[in-house]
Amino acid sequence: MMSFQEIIVYLLLGFAVAFLWKKFFGKKKKDKDCGDGDCGCH
Amino acid sequence: MNRNTIKVALIGNPNVGKTSVFNELTGLNQQVGNYPGITVEKKVGFAKLSEYTKATILDLPGTYSLNASSMDESVVIELLMNKNDKDFPDVAVVVSEVENLKRNLLLFTQIKDLEIPTILVINMADRMIPKGISLDIPFLEKELKTKIALVSSRKKIGIDNLKQLIINYKELSTEPCLNASSIDPEYFNSLRRAFPNQLLYKLWLVITQDVNFANLHRKKIEENSFAKPKADLKRLQQKETIKRYQFINDTLKVGYKVDKTTATDFRERLDRVLTHKIFGYVIFFGILMLIFQSIFDWSSIPMDFIDETFAVLSSYAKTHLPAGILTDLISEGIIPGLGGIIIFIPQIAFLFLFISVLEESGYMSRVVFLMDKIMRKFGLSGKSVVPLISGTACAIPAIMAARNIENWKERLITILVTPFTTCSARLPVYAILISLIIPDKRVFGLFNMQGLTLMTLYLLGFGMAIFSAYILNKILKIKSHSYFVVEMPGYKIPMFKNVAINVVEKTKSFVFGAGKIILALSVILWFLGSHGPDKTFHDAENIIETQLQNKTISGEKDDLVASYKLENSYIGIIGKSIEPVIRPLGYDWKIGIAVVSSFAAREVFVGTLATIYSVGSHSDEETTIKNRMAAEVHPITGKKIFNVATGVSLLLFYAFAMQCISTLAITKKETNSWKWPMIQLVFMSGFAYTVSLIAYQLLK
Amino acid sequence: MAITVAQLQRGQKGTILDFNIEEIPLKLLEMGCLPGNEVTLLQVAPFGDPLYITVNDSHVAIRLETAKEISIEIIDVP
Repeated sequence: MMSFQEIIVYLLLGFAVAFLWKKFFGKKKKDKDCGDGDCGCH
Repeated sequence: MNRNTIKVALIGNPNVGKTSVFNELTGLNQQVGNYPGITVEKKVGFAKLSEYTKATILDLPGTYSLNASSMDESVVIELLMNKNDKDFPDVAVVVSEVENLKRNLLLFTQIKDLEIPTILVINMADRMIPKGISLDIPFLEKELKTKIALVSSRKKIGIDNLKQLIINYKELSTEPCLNASSIDPEYFNSLRRAFPNQLLYKLWLVITQDVNFANLHRKKIEENSFAKPKADLKRLQQKETIKRYQFINDTLKVGYKVDKTTATDFRERLDRVLTHKIFGYVIFFGILMLIFQSIFDWSSIPMDFIDETFAVLSSYAKTHLPAGILTDLISEGIIPGLGGIIIFIPQIAFLFLFISVLEESGYMSRVVFLMDKIMRKFGLSGKSVVPLISGTACAIPAIMAARNIENWKERLITILVTPFTTCSARLPVYAILISLIIPDKRVFGLFNMQGLTLMTLYLLGFGMAIFSAYILNKILKIKSHSYFVVEMPGYKIPMFKNVAINVVEKTKSFVFGAGKIILALSVILWFLGSHGPDKTFHDAENIIETQLQNKTISGEKDDLVASYKLENSYIGIIGKSIEPVIRPLGYDWKIGIAVVSSFAAREVFVGTLATIYSVGSHSDEETTIKNRMAAEVHPITGKKIFNVATGVSLLLFYAFAMQCISTLAITKKETNSWKWPMIQLVFMSGFAYTVSLIAYQLLK
Repeated sequence: MAITVAQLQRGQKGTILDFNIEEIPLKLLEMGCLPGNEVTLLQVAPFGDPLYITVNDSHVAIRLETAKEISIEIIDVP
């Protein structure tokens, strides 16, 4: 049985790994969507 | 969105005081973020215009026209052309400056062609009397089909009037002030026929610009054979510019009068001194010395304070929080991690204080002018000076400062070589190694040898930056035009508010940008350093207990346990497994652990060694770590580990190696590719390895 | 051979006649470096490059290679 402190630690660790992963390998957000509707460029 | 919130976009040339107008409108009520996907700063502020009306004010990057030549400038066009953008303004406020009205109006006429309600701000109105300028505002308003606000952001005049004009934005005319399509009626008429629902000027911008959102549309235009060769397009753009200036000149001939007799030539006299072939350099190096003095001397007072505070905080957390793994994470991972970021704030703040004063005053352009030819010999630009200076505090803001270099090759080389300059994270590493291996003596009774060594390391870093720039310049086959145009603005006394806001914003963006990465890494490194795979790790306390009883080892039990745990932790395993690789450099696995863990940030090196040599948990005294390191001997040969050869090898390794993951992240972001940070990593660390190897093998 | 901005002496003025459009940054045109406008050489940086000029009330620094592409007619100061 994991203690309360351990759970938080593993959560934080997972959060840190996910953050770095996103920072380095994360896909960039798509450029401004311009697919439909009159956005002034059609 | 609230009906009574007006969306305002501030647009204007660089050096017109647009940011001061922004600061006056919003006060400190502003946020800085990024535009999605790119690193261009997005500044939004909030202003209360009246009892009932509020405004969100977007401070767009400074641009000379709607023809973008940099990432910052294309942000302006993309926003103004996309009505569906959530930031699309209800009203555009074009900021101009009374002394450069002619040139500033070029952008204004382009914005008017987009048929957006537009207000013209004429800033620096307090300069009208000393410069002998008089304006016929009603005439200008009629010709330019707009409302004009005469403002002096320095004297805080005219801001209320501007707010009133923004409130009444619906009364503004959206009619263009000239007909730009007359430069080639035939071409534009056929364009109009093919796309009858579109604004002609927008089409024209889409054709001439390589703006992101328009890809799809560009193709459509090209299919319809509206595309022209680049040179033809540029000729048309020239015609357009001439046409606009004709209109502006005709308008200003009546509405703008200058009495030349009252004008002074302060700027030219100051220029003669500041760009003088001898005095110019003397003054520049004097200022450089002042910057270095502030970074290394003045900052040390707050930095020592921060260092101590976090050490106290860490031990307080350890003793007062309920014992457990989370407390360990907080006291050994998070607090030191935060401390490692915050300790750089004084240096970064000093650096940006100087840089923004120099930029606000107009002096920075003169430095660029002075240094361009010299820098170009190495494939850099005069504009690379700012990144290279900033690099002595931290490479991250320095690499971002390379953004205004318009030549891609020069910008890329600047980004690639900036991490060689000696950033402040190397200082703690240098300090402890130098004090270990270099005697504290004076040579010729004058220079301190330790000081000389430190200076040599600085020169080495800077020299390496210049040298690799030279090599890169020869290797890289990127063809790009110089396109070097630097405006030399008039000299101004920097405004305190602008400088202060700038320093705060830049420091904040460092703390929250690089800081998050360093903090996340500290958490991971803490985990790897405090967890191990096998039994020996978990039984650390018992093992040490037995060894203490058997008198095979001696010392404080807690320290020994910490040291033993680290040795058997994941990081310890990594350190040991790379020992064969680093052995030729004179390092053992303990140094290996420190090298690996300091990949997050160089200064971690010292802290890790402190833990390994089991002095960490009880005293952060530098002397203690030093003594322990000095006493460290090789288990087989019995020789000292930190001898001159290993020390020099380590110093050189830290001088050249790419030991900073945040810098890699920022390089990736700025170059938009994995290729360049990888080249940086392989080249820098490979070079560091080779140099350290040679040094160790020669000295041992 | 036509005179270019690169050949101006410090303090000398000239009227812009023409330039090689492909080699001139658009930004410079937008600052007002256009045929018919007056250009003055204010300063030359140490080592002879870049040049600090004023044109159309704009004060700008350009590199020698750009200056060579702008042909001018010298205005004699009486």
